[in-house]
Amino acid sequence: MLKDLNENICEAKVFEHVYNTYSKDVHNFLYYKYGEQFNPKDKVQDAFIKLWDNCKKVTLSKAKSFLFTVASNMVLNDIKHKKVVLNHKKIAPKSHTNETPEFIMEQEQFFERYQKVLQGLKEEHRVAFLLNKAEGKSHTEIAEFLGVTKKVVEYRIYSAFTILKKDLEGFKLK
Amino acid sequence: MNKEDQIKKWLNDELTPGERELFEQGEDFALYQAIVIGGTQFKASNFSKPEAFNDFKSAYEAKNKPTRQLDWFKPMLRIVSVVVITLGVYFTFFNNTLTQVQTIASQKTKVELPDLSQVTLNADSEIEFSKKDWDDNRSLNLSGEAYFKVAKGKSFDVVTSQGVVTVVGTEFNVKQRNNYFEVQCFEGIVSVASGSYTKKLLAGDSFRILNNVFTQDTSTNVKPEWTSNRSTFKALPYKVILAEFERQYDIKISLEDVDSNLLFTGGFMHDNIENALLSITQPMELNYKTNASNDVVIYGNKK
Repeated sequence: MLKDLNENICEAKVFEHVYNTYSKDVHNFLYYKYGEQFNPKDKVQDAFIKLWDNCKKVTLSKAKSFLFTVASNMVLNDIKHKKVVLNHKKIAPKSHTNETPEFIMEQEQFFERYQKVLQGLKEEHRVAFLLNKAEGKSHTEIAEFLGVTKKVVEYRIYSAFTILKKDLEGFKLK
Repeated sequence: MNKEDQIKKWLNDELTPGERELFEQGEDFALYQAIVIGGTQFKASNFSKPEAFNDFKSAYEAKNKPTRQLDWFKPMLRIVSVVVITLGVYFTFFNNTLTQVQTIASQKTKVELPDLSQVTLNADSEIEFSKKDWDDNRSLNLSGEAYFKVAKGKSFDVVTSQGVVTVVGTEFNVKQRNNYFEVQCFEGIVSVASGSYTKKLLAGDSFRILNNVFTQDTSTNVKPEWTSNRSTFKALPYKVILAEFERQYDIKISLEDVDSNLLFTGGFMHDNIENALLSITQPMELNYKTNASNDVVIYGNKK
């Protein structure tokens, strides 16, 4: 019975552990879903506040799915009008290779185009693709976050990849 | 293996070493590789990170009354734990422990009963039954909504505050919400008793008492829509739809200039709140907006 009491997330230490375990993943999920403009930093706090307010009703084992459900259901003001804005890390030119300025510019153009395509993707495709390729999460882990099967995750990643491939075909690489 | 299947397998890491070598020599491989590796340039942590726990805690405590501070709980919990252990021991030895399963808003769950009957609970619902006595008496209490697949055997009772449902080996849905009691039979025969009404339902029949008005209906569904993450309504007061919406998405909805008794026919999915809001407002020519605390307000067009 004492073991169950340790799993009560109303206890400060347990809640802190839940926060530290999941805050990055929930934050990243929101960032990939809605982009930068939406301020994922604040929204992830809202999700954890909701968890704390419901701490009596949610067991430790259900905390992760609760957080992701809350995150998915956030209704956003003006979401219909604001476009998704992501960002990409600019490539720093390597001084020890002989990369021409033209090559560096082409790389930058590649990533600008890539970013535009990502922003235009269907939300669910973008989230699955970036959780896998940017965060390195496995298909199984992503399936758990989203509450879908592994096959669905694989299909979404493939869909995103196909659209990217079609759009970026024009770039000559190496 | 055609090109697309190869790509799928490559993305899933399912190519054999031999197949992979071949794939990597394809003429488009450089592009594929660039796309996959390029994903890392978009990693969230380069641009935004969540706050550390202590910052979260300070921000929360600044927003709320002191009584909700996290540290206050611990000594309280120790006192409560002694009481809980004592009661627990008492109930184990002196009481018939009841098994309870409960769902909160936006949660659904499946439960298997001792005789392998299956119960799927909709959001914000609860069932209660005695595991020990189940073989002798298949009777459970329900508050809310659940879909039942009953294994063949003795009679099976679902007891709610607004009526009792008795069945033998069938599939049916029971819904008990505010002033709304409804039973839908999908297979077999179901007997429903509520107040002065008693009816036998066959597959496809449904029995409903809404605001003390009794109606019967038939449908061709093989199982309730909500188990497929969809809610559908046929000529029901708008407030019934809003109540279910609030349950599925765990939000609060208020109305401005809208009659909550208007009849609504239609439905919404449970997986995307923006689409769902459009599904319940557009057909009625209504609009919605969200306010600062993420509650939804549905308003009519001023004529």
